Amino acid sequence: MARMRKKLGAVLVSAAALSLTLSACGGGGGAEGGGGGGGGEAIDTSTASGEVSYWLWDANQLPAYQACADKFKAANPNVSVKITQYGWDDYWAKLTNGFIAGDAPDVFTDHLAKYPEFVTQQQLVALDETLAKDGYNVDQYQPGLADLWKGQDGKRYGLPKDFDTVAIFYNKKLVSDGGVKEADLQNLQWNPQDGGTYEKMIAHLTVDESGKRGDEPGFDKSKIKVYGLGLDGGSGGGLGQTQWSMYTGSNNWQFTDKNPWGTHYNYDQPAFQQTIGWFKSLIDKGYMPSVEATTGQGSSDIFAAGKYAMITNGSWQTNAFFDLKGIEVGLAPTPVGPSGKRASMYNGLADSIWIGAKNKPGAAKWVEFLGSPDCQNIVGEQAVVFPAIPEATEKAEAAWKAKGVDTNAFTVQVKDKTTFLFPITDYASQIEGIMEPAMDNVLTGKAPPESLTEANNQVNQLFG
Amino acid sequence: MSTGAIETVEPVVPSDFKPGAVRGTDKPPGRSEIGIALIFILPALIGFLVFYLYPFIRGFYFSLTRYNLLGTPTFIGFDNFTRLFQDPLFWNAILVTVEYVVINIVLQTILAVAIAVLMHRLTQSTVVRGLILLPFLISNVIAAMLWFWMLDYQIGLVNEFIAFLGLDRIAFFGDSAWAIPTIAIVNVWRHMGYTALLVFAGLQTIPNYVYEAAAVDGSTEWKSFWRITMPLLRPVLALVLVITVTGSFQVFDTVAVTTRGGPGNASRVIQYYIYQKGFTEGQFGYASALCVILFIILATVAVIQLRMLRAGESDLA
Amino acid sequence: MATTTAPSRDLAATEPEPARKRINLGRLGAWIAMIILILITLFPFYWMLRTAFSTTKSLFSEPASLLPVDFTTGAFQRVLGLATPAEAVAEGGSGAAVNFWLYLRNSVVFATLATAGQVFFCALAAYAFARLRWPGRDIVFFLFLTALMIPPIFTMLPNFILIKNLGLINTFPGLILPYFLMTPFAIFFLRQFFLGISREIEEAAKLDGAGHWRIFFRIVLPMSTAPIVTLFILTFINMWNEYFWPLLVGGGENVRVLTLAIGIFRSQTPQGSPDWAGLMAAVLVAALPILILFFAFAKKVVNSIGFSGLK
Repeated sequence: MARMRKKLGAVLVSAAALSLTLSACGGGGGAEGGGGGGGGEAIDTSTASGEVSYWLWDANQLPAYQACADKFKAANPNVSVKITQYGWDDYWAKLTNGFIAGDAPDVFTDHLAKYPEFVTQQQLVALDETLAKDGYNVDQYQPGLADLWKGQDGKRYGLPKDFDTVAIFYNKKLVSDGGVKEADLQNLQWNPQDGGTYEKMIAHLTVDESGKRGDEPGFDKSKIKVYGLGLDGGSGGGLGQTQWSMYTGSNNWQFTDKNPWGTHYNYDQPAFQQTIGWFKSLIDKGYMPSVEATTGQGSSDIFAAGKYAMITNGSWQTNAFFDLKGIEVGLAPTPVGPSGKRASMYNGLADSIWIGAKNKPGAAKWVEFLGSPDCQNIVGEQAVVFPAIPEATEKAEAAWKAKGVDTNAFTVQVKDKTTFLFPITDYASQIEGIMEPAMDNVLTGKAPPESLTEANNQVNQLFG
Repeated sequence: MSTGAIETVEPVVPSDFKPGAVRGTDKPPGRSEIGIALIFILPALIGFLVFYLYPFIRGFYFSLTRYNLLGTPTFIGFDNFTRLFQDPLFWNAILVTVEYVVINIVLQTILAVAIAVLMHRLTQSTVVRGLILLPFLISNVIAAMLWFWMLDYQIGLVNEFIAFLGLDRIAFFGDSAWAIPTIAIVNVWRHMGYTALLVFAGLQTIPNYVYEAAAVDGSTEWKSFWRITMPLLRPVLALVLVITVTGSFQVFDTVAVTTRGGPGNASRVIQYYIYQKGFTEGQFGYASALCVILFIILATVAVIQLRMLRAGESDLA
Repeated sequence: MATTTAPSRDLAATEPEPARKRINLGRLGAWIAMIILILITLFPFYWMLRTAFSTTKSLFSEPASLLPVDFTTGAFQRVLGLATPAEAVAEGGSGAAVNFWLYLRNSVVFATLATAGQVFFCALAAYAFARLRWPGRDIVFFLFLTALMIPPIFTMLPNFILIKNLGLINTFPGLILPYFLMTPFAIFFLRQFFLGISREIEEAAKLDGAGHWRIFFRIVLPMSTAPIVTLFILTFINMWNEYFWPLLVGGGENVRVLTLAIGIFRSQTPQGSPDWAGLMAAVLVAALPILILFFAFAKKVVNSIGFSGLK
């Protein structure tokens, strides 16, 4: 009955991965390889002609990429690019179905969380030979980005497109209401024992319904009007990109033994569990909303309602925050931790070629164009994301400055080299399936941070 | 005519008037109409075989394999099933789903019958009918998004109103005790008009003289409802219950849009768990095994319902 | 036939008797209950309307306001494809184009054809299950019924691959095919109603020499107008709201249906916020055709008293 089908799911609304992964018990059968396999013989881009299909999900970037496509066509009259956009929720479903049914696009925007699984499934074309043949400069990107896209076999499966980091967004009015100067927010320090100046600031900016601040006597933590620090939608699962990774990352802790392609997770280490314990204490003290309270609308919406003085969030949300009418927003970099430095997770997107692409020469030429300054500068000027090429990044910063947005809080992490990589390992979806409920339970108080050791064991068992 | 007691209403009708279904009792045996029947059901049969039976058999085959959708399936016999029975998340899913179904169905059925009777008795207005059906016009997903916003803890209208009254806000979707009931109620909101319409169509089949006869005997509205309406609604109620219970067990959209199985595993209903295992984690063989179990549960429940409600008969017979 | 002319009290489903001196408390209570139910049902729609006339970017600055926030008709312009990308982005929408009238046409074609086929073929089958006698009838019926319980992930993928192999991706036939011939719900529904038809009339027709075809078309169908119209409306609504299948099979502009287009207003990025004003406007506009359809046929949903054909 039609109702049944609807119930499955139009909506795969979920930030969780939609990609496929090998089952825990090891390899299935032979993967579908299209012609040439992942071995990557060089594709001859000089023969490029015809139409190349390209998919992306962010409609906000559509105009920029259309402009890129037009420029590409002008430079290569034989090749045209057809761009299709599917919203984030549908994108991975369509892509996966495309892989299975054999009609995936030639080129598509790839995500660090999904690509390891695509590599294992042998759905991506290795680009090394082609790039070498064309004398392509793979070092033109922000340091570290290009290597993220090298698989375990050392081959390159995507060319970097853009990157993102996290920072603190703050509500200028709420901050000044607390008698705090914006400059005070730029160099906060935190530690898992007493939270440092960071926690003091958060406490001071928290206001309860009778007007008392978090550091004043008589503060009622059960009736909060404004939270000093917001929580971006949930516990963060095993990654906590916008929730807590900036703290664990500045507490001398790493997700895995090595990155990329580690095989052992470290959720059992005291540095991690203490940080999470401290993070939870912010909820207990009333300075931060609980996971229950933030199961609902996005953090930018709640921020818009004036409920958060500060919140940590990613650079891809910059426009969502700054475009809010009626709120003046500022940016500050993440606080410095016990390691003596601040930290931010470093994530990035790339463009990959599907192994079954019908127009590989055209696809390769398009990918090379996408990874070049010609295209990335256009994207940068639109001020939607930070492109991967430093020159284009600066263009983006300038474009944002022209709109009145100072993005230094994001780029300082790259300049100071205080970023750490998004963890790239096999079994990403299953790890998330274990860690999300486990972290939920810790942050809702149902289990102590030590319970994460058990979760960690389950995760490490996946690797055998 | 009537015997004066409301218990047995004996309308004066032609002797073989049987508005309810009859299970093969009045036609002389031996006259099978299979030829013509085949022609009548042929298109539906083709649809069934191609779009339902074949995929099901294929799915059943996958439940005996390890398969990640991109490679080839590896036959592993019943391993998926033994794994399933030892999987605490499977049992959690069953528990959570049953809780959901009970709350959803009880509430929805009561409300739907109440609305249908009200529509039947109070007003013939099509405007009212249309208004009641309105929630069904928006898709599951949009309805879920809408309620996810209105019930939001911090900025949802409902909670702002609750806070205005001086009470504590409720984390409708975030609190593990509230998550399933909230999802159930959201779906009741969406489906009660639709279910009411089905029941209403059934109410139409009850002839008026039955009520009139009861009225003559002094029955009140309330009594007539329980003694006449409900029993005579049986075939339609059976339809409604089988459909709604089956659909309810397969709840997915609302969970996918709102809680995504959380907090913790409090709303990880079986269909969501299947989807998570099959598509997100690429364990399609295991997910298929879960589907087979779900199917067996649903079929069993349906059989029980149909038997208990004697869906093939009607008290008018 | 009852010859008593019992005073038709509230039990008869006719107009309430006017000018009754005694106010019926029960009736009053019933009306109050009805009104409360209607209010609860309708309030979210008011909320949708209020949001549709607000500006997305300002929406949450007044989260509990019952009036539109920063009133604008921009959302409707976006939905109807009348706004330029720049205007759209200025209000908080995305810059993607919405070819509204085309999608509307596609939805109408898809929903109408799928529903018409489904209702017709299922009526045929339901007749066979309800009125004809043949060995294994009830078993086959139960089999059809179990199709309700087949999990969608079993059917989605194979059906998708089948349509692809037939070369029908991005075509209307491909979209319609799985729904065109049967759904278990439609068969179940109609069979239950066909069961209630009196045998007398059928027998009479048979005596007159009518074959099953004639009985079906001339007698059973006309007598079942109410359930058939009800089924038509409900199925149409379901087809109108179908999302996942058209997403898989009908992504091309020429067959893209309204529900997919609504996807443009949903969140574009992970954990982002949807273009609420645009989304609500889109949903309201998409629901309008169904409402019109419903009110056009609503009277038929009510059966006349002569249902059983005996009175």
